[in-house]
Amino acid sequence: MSRLPADDLYSGTQSQRRRTSRNARVVNAPPPLLRLPRTMRRLQRQAPMLAIHGLSELSGRLRDLTGHELIDMARVMELMQFVYRQQQLARRGADYAVDDFGFDAEWTESFLPLFKILYRDYWRIETAGIEQVPAAGRALLVANHAGVLPWDGTMIKTAVFAEHPNPRHVRALVASLFMGMPVLSWFLRRTGQTVGHPDDTRRLLERDQLVLVFPEGVRGTGKLYQDRYKLRRFGRGGFVSTAIRSGAPIVPVSVVGSEELYPMIGDATPLAKLFGLPYFPITPFWPWLGPLGIIPLPSKWRIQFHPAIHVEVHPPEAADDQNLVMALADQVRDTIQQGVYENLKLRRGVFV
Amino acid sequence: MTPPQRVLVTGVSNPLGSEVARRLSTQVPYLFGCDVNDPVSALEDMDFVHADTRQSVIGKLVRQLRIDTVVHLAVVIDSPREDRATHETNVIGTMNVLAGCAGPSSPVSRLVVKSSQAVYGARPEYPSLIVEDSAGIGRADSPVSRDLAELEQLTHDFALRNPGCRVARIRLGYRMTRETSLGRYLSLPLVPTFAGFDPRLQLLHEEDAAEAIARAALGDQEGVFNVAGDGVLVLSQAIAIMGARATPVLPPYGRWASRVAVRFATGVRIPAHMADLLMHGSVVDCSRLQTEFGWRPTYSTRAVLDAFALGQTEEPIESPSPPQEYELQVYLQRRRRERRNGHGSAALALSR
Repeated sequence: MSRLPADDLYSGTQSQRRRTSRNARVVNAPPPLLRLPRTMRRLQRQAPMLAIHGLSELSGRLRDLTGHELIDMARVMELMQFVYRQQQLARRGADYAVDDFGFDAEWTESFLPLFKILYRDYWRIETAGIEQVPAAGRALLVANHAGVLPWDGTMIKTAVFAEHPNPRHVRALVASLFMGMPVLSWFLRRTGQTVGHPDDTRRLLERDQLVLVFPEGVRGTGKLYQDRYKLRRFGRGGFVSTAIRSGAPIVPVSVVGSEELYPMIGDATPLAKLFGLPYFPITPFWPWLGPLGIIPLPSKWRIQFHPAIHVEVHPPEAADDQNLVMALADQVRDTIQQGVYENLKLRRGVFV
Repeated sequence: MTPPQRVLVTGVSNPLGSEVARRLSTQVPYLFGCDVNDPVSALEDMDFVHADTRQSVIGKLVRQLRIDTVVHLAVVIDSPREDRATHETNVIGTMNVLAGCAGPSSPVSRLVVKSSQAVYGARPEYPSLIVEDSAGIGRADSPVSRDLAELEQLTHDFALRNPGCRVARIRLGYRMTRETSLGRYLSLPLVPTFAGFDPRLQLLHEEDAAEAIARAALGDQEGVFNVAGDGVLVLSQAIAIMGARATPVLPPYGRWASRVAVRFATGVRIPAHMADLLMHGSVVDCSRLQTEFGWRPTYSTRAVLDAFALGQTEEPIESPSPPQEYELQVYLQRRRRERRNGHGSAALALSR
């Protein structure tokens, strides 16, 4: 911002002129008063490489000793890459672009290593039918919703980006309540979510995006542990109308494992009202253990993508046919519910 | 549709008004401007009238001058103060202008009214791109939004009752100049922001705003039109482009206290509607403008901010003092009138 006044360029003494000259060389910053010895500085510079060498050595020794892969170097390298990428992104300043919805694809992808660790190692998710998700063009993914915090949405997004032969970003629809909360409001938008408004759904589908919707909404996430895997009412079928209007097929998705993340044994309604939340969960760990209660349990997950229901064969006018819309909504709901039961049978236990 | 012959621009002395008048002066045979204050820049082809829209003079003016097109720009859409005077200008002023244009004896066949994107307010439950017919207009609880909603309702009723007059309402996007609240706010070296919020912003260049209104005055499109630049920026990005630093110190609750605190700490007033904007952001859909006018703003949101950031480093050009300008204007008007009367050369010789 500070510019040299043009008048001063050729006035003043020789030394002053040299300082303001455009041809002046860039001089290195003066050395700090306290400077570490050369060997220490070299060590400081090489610390990350040395740490990796040490770790791989340790990993090899442990493998020889126990016969198991106790420290997986591939995972360690992924984490290193994640840190490096975050540093890179922090340096880009204002030099990036978000789309009209506030989505920053580059930034979102930088978080993928973290979510992949949750996906593969923590919840050991088995995904079936990923090929049902179209490799190009629009589609509306409809899933069951559970587990207090929307981890199921995160994992469906991770599944499509990590497992699909043509990695795509899924844009989930979020209740407007969360869009008004600090931190969540911008984090959700920056990672591709948008508000659950029919206009937004239509706009995203018209841009040939994959849109993920949870028609159960907060009624699904806020249900008690005893009601687990019983799907709630699917709204008023608004998602079907939007899909018909936009000519997008509906891909039902069944998620199993999300119900056991935070087994909700009660709902403190007065507290929820006080904080303006739809529910205030009471679990064996929350709120008794404080922040530790937010750690989700390591349940075993299965995600199944079902064959698409081609609602786009109906003309756009059919979106106003409430009879047809409700029938299709029920068909989607039944498919998901059936998928949930089948996957529960395939799962050996809650945590294995 | 016949091209407009005699155009009256109200509120011609504000920067936008004079820019609109400058554009119209080359396109229209007879151009009249009225305002409470003297115009800052002289325009040879415009007759300036001292007239206050808050009094019922517009009716007489319109009939005496046989005005066929009224461009109503005496609307305060971004005021640092939210007081009675603003309300008077916006609501009572518009009421008087509409009353003046109404009735069978009125020669007015075209009316363009300035409004702002602020009429929507900013709420988390709004769709990501707001269309002109969005429900919920007028529910916003800031004084400016309320005034604008009332003004638009009056205009809408006028259009229904006077089918002979084609009415267009132009909702201008947020502009970045030294005079606007947003411009002053983003010019701070340390920008106080709401903690946990990083909204999307959409901006409109001053030239595009004037061009949109001039095109509306010359055309015959009816209805409401959003005008704003392409694309969005997030607030933190905008602050980085301005070379400033964001300081997330304002709590998300109790916004009134935050606004007072910012005013005392930095001297910048944040109107209530802008506090909402700085939390939830507001982006509009301009596709109706594009289809009906066949024109879209030339500056994207990013270009608007880049131009503003560049302009900040340069010293503003000293404008000539208004009284001199006004005298010049009167002289030029007299000269033109004499020329029209057929003894121009004699008058010129005399004045020399």
